[in-house]
Amino acid sequence: MGLEAVLVSHQKVMICIPTFRVTIGNRRTGVLSLILLAAIGSVRLSANTATCGGASINIPFTDVSSSNIFFCSIAAAYFSGLTNGTSATTYTPGQPVPREQMAAFVSRTLDQALKRGSRRAALNQWWMPTQFPSYARSPVGGFPITVAFDGADLWVANFNFKTVSRVRASDGRVLQTWTVAEPPFGVLVAQGTVYVTGFTIPGRLYAINPATGGGGGSATLITNQLGSIPRGIAFDGAAIWTADEGGSVSRFSNGMTVVIPGFGEAYGILYDGHNIWVSDFGDGKLKRLNSDGFTTASVPVGSGPGFPAFDGTNIWVPCLDDSMSVVRVKDSAGNPQGSPFVLATLTGNGLGGPLSAAFDGQRVLVTNPNSHNLSLWKAIDLSPLGFVSMGPTAEPAYACSDGINFWITLNGPDQLLRF
Amino acid sequence: MSKAVYRSWRIVLLLMATLVLVAVRGRAETGMCDGASITIPFMDVSASDMFFCSIAAAYFSGLTNGTSSTTYSPNDPVPREQMAAFVSRTLDQGLRRGSRRAILNQWWTPSVFASTTRSSINAASWYVAYDGADLWATNPDIGFVTRVRASDGDEKQFWVGAIQPFGVLVAQGAVRVTGNTDPGRLYTIDPRTLGQSGNVTLITDQLGAFPVGIAFDGTAIWTANQGGSVSVVSNGVMTVSAGFVSPWGILYDGANIWLTDRGDNQLKKVTSNASIATSITVGSDPQQPIFDGANIWVPNRLSNTLTVVRVKDSAGNPLTSPFVMATLSGNGLNDPRTVAFDGQRILVTNFGGDSVSLWKATDLTPLGVFSTGASTGPNGACSDGVNFWVTLHGTAQLLRF
Repeated sequence: MGLEAVLVSHQKVMICIPTFRVTIGNRRTGVLSLILLAAIGSVRLSANTATCGGASINIPFTDVSSSNIFFCSIAAAYFSGLTNGTSATTYTPGQPVPREQMAAFVSRTLDQALKRGSRRAALNQWWMPTQFPSYARSPVGGFPITVAFDGADLWVANFNFKTVSRVRASDGRVLQTWTVAEPPFGVLVAQGTVYVTGFTIPGRLYAINPATGGGGGSATLITNQLGSIPRGIAFDGAAIWTADEGGSVSRFSNGMTVVIPGFGEAYGILYDGHNIWVSDFGDGKLKRLNSDGFTTASVPVGSGPGFPAFDGTNIWVPCLDDSMSVVRVKDSAGNPQGSPFVLATLTGNGLGGPLSAAFDGQRVLVTNPNSHNLSLWKAIDLSPLGFVSMGPTAEPAYACSDGINFWITLNGPDQLLRF
Repeated sequence: MSKAVYRSWRIVLLLMATLVLVAVRGRAETGMCDGASITIPFMDVSASDMFFCSIAAAYFSGLTNGTSSTTYSPNDPVPREQMAAFVSRTLDQGLRRGSRRAILNQWWTPSVFASTTRSSINAASWYVAYDGADLWATNPDIGFVTRVRASDGDEKQFWVGAIQPFGVLVAQGAVRVTGNTDPGRLYTIDPRTLGQSGNVTLITDQLGAFPVGIAFDGTAIWTANQGGSVSVVSNGVMTVSAGFVSPWGILYDGANIWLTDRGDNQLKKVTSNASIATSITVGSDPQQPIFDGANIWVPNRLSNTLTVVRVKDSAGNPLTSPFVMATLSGNGLNDPRTVAFDGQRILVTNFGGDSVSLWKATDLTPLGVFSTGASTGPNGACSDGVNFWVTLHGTAQLLRF
């Protein structure tokens, strides 16, 4: 027969033989009671108290002495939810940490840091919305496509109206409407300028100076020599890159455009801090390019890859076959992965013709135009957080984050949705 | 069955059992985490292991590589060397993923600067501060303070009436500016004021001589006065000169005020009554430093170095005996003037080198040097969490970096 630890208050722990009656407060829970106290050492069996940061701190671990130099660290790890101890009353401080426990420590630490450090935490926005009233929807132009955030405002390309809407993130008000000569598709905010791709053959690149006052203006044509039908757009610190559905990638820098052929149907594009990555809808691959545009790695993903997102370590690629490929592109030190590979292929969780992914520092959101819903995952462990319906005709298309909310273009009602 | 046949069957069965075991163990493991089927490549982590999901999370987020491509060795103890890798990766990942740059997909470091990255700010500028939406830059030569919107770089306002506005601080909804005069001046601006321009308000003209740096500790405003003193403004002005030669930069680290003294090349920690508690020798001609949460980074103008001083212990409490943790050189340091911190990276302006230098704050690794253009004279700097903003003294511009 073993001993059983019974917590009788938030500070005191007593040891009893469980077949005997035990009285806790006014409640009798057994037949006989035998409480072993002082001889075993009431100090060792009591929760411990010590001073940390000038305050008296009490922890439930009876094996962590108040004189232990790590008392305050153990207390912090316990209070912040990083450790549960080895039991309700023990921490086993002298025991080596096996690698399996280490994994729990570090993954919990990362999770807590991201959760607590987010702007959502600072604004007490812990909810995941399930309803979307009118004030969560900003009316923009016809058939809104992509959206990007500049730190204060959102920029939405309205394909059918040939306009770009500027929407203030704080209140959802439409501030400006800019006209574009050709149907706009991709939007990028970089170095104080808003860049927009023109969905033409050959492709076009426009620029908007957001410092311009008034209700908007006309976007300025920068070049009409991009590859055919540019969709995605990215910046690497030196050049603007576009992914061209016509089968190329274009690089624009210092007024010069270089069109790099050899792609099937380039859709999405992003920069991960080291390399440009392109999702090729034509051959179902995610391709890494060097600064000259040559493909240096090609990773097969699902069928029909759309617009991916980078979370700091992995690239999330939504694929038309109702899957999500998560590709490891950085090693644990943050350097480019020598041989990038598919870390996981996610299915379910509401995926229905997924088109676009966005990352808010903690979560990855995916738009599902076919099933009219949004799917969410927790980025660090790939666990599904559920999916939310947008209504039968919403057609959520593209998304970005402002650090507090995700923003989604809805092709059906021609709106920008705050999620 | 003969003994020989029996032995043969035993061997065959044993081999089959072994093959089955190898086949089972040779697969990646699949388990359930939060209702989802999760597969990891580590064959030695059973799906029934209570830490399966934690190991999966650590693997997926890049915190661990395993002990090989197919093993994790879950029961091996963690030596302190592995422990250091685990915790530093965790910190790095937390900062990287949690930054506003990650949210805005801004993973680049710019190497070219289009005209839209440069905001005109009326005249040569020294220092700049961020209020959460806008930037405030001082223009000593013309007595202006210029307000620029961070999101689009548009100049929103200019404020007049300050004599030699130099240091700038945003605290508690007000913008405070030092006037580099003898005696020194302190001005304030109410940023709620509408219109294209306004007049600064004088708070006091009784600071120590030639105030430069300015800081706030939650109660008082502190100025570092190049004339050889420190002033504390709170229900009156107290100026202390004992022990100071030529203070320049100043900051508050959450527990103490620190200032750089160009006169004796020291970083000095002061008590609440402005007496010197600690002095640490840094490089020659220390300028405007920055605090990164654990260390203070001091740019040394004449020695072209960066001194990193450990001022907090691992629990975030003030160190009893702060010390120089590292002295950095190279990486383009050339007449360094100001240091800024964006949560991950340290930026240093190189006035003489027409460039900025970057370091990763957690491990002090250099991230490169970037030209800002000939005769630009980068001087002051701050971060808005997405971009660094650098005052270009030579071209009277504010550069988005």
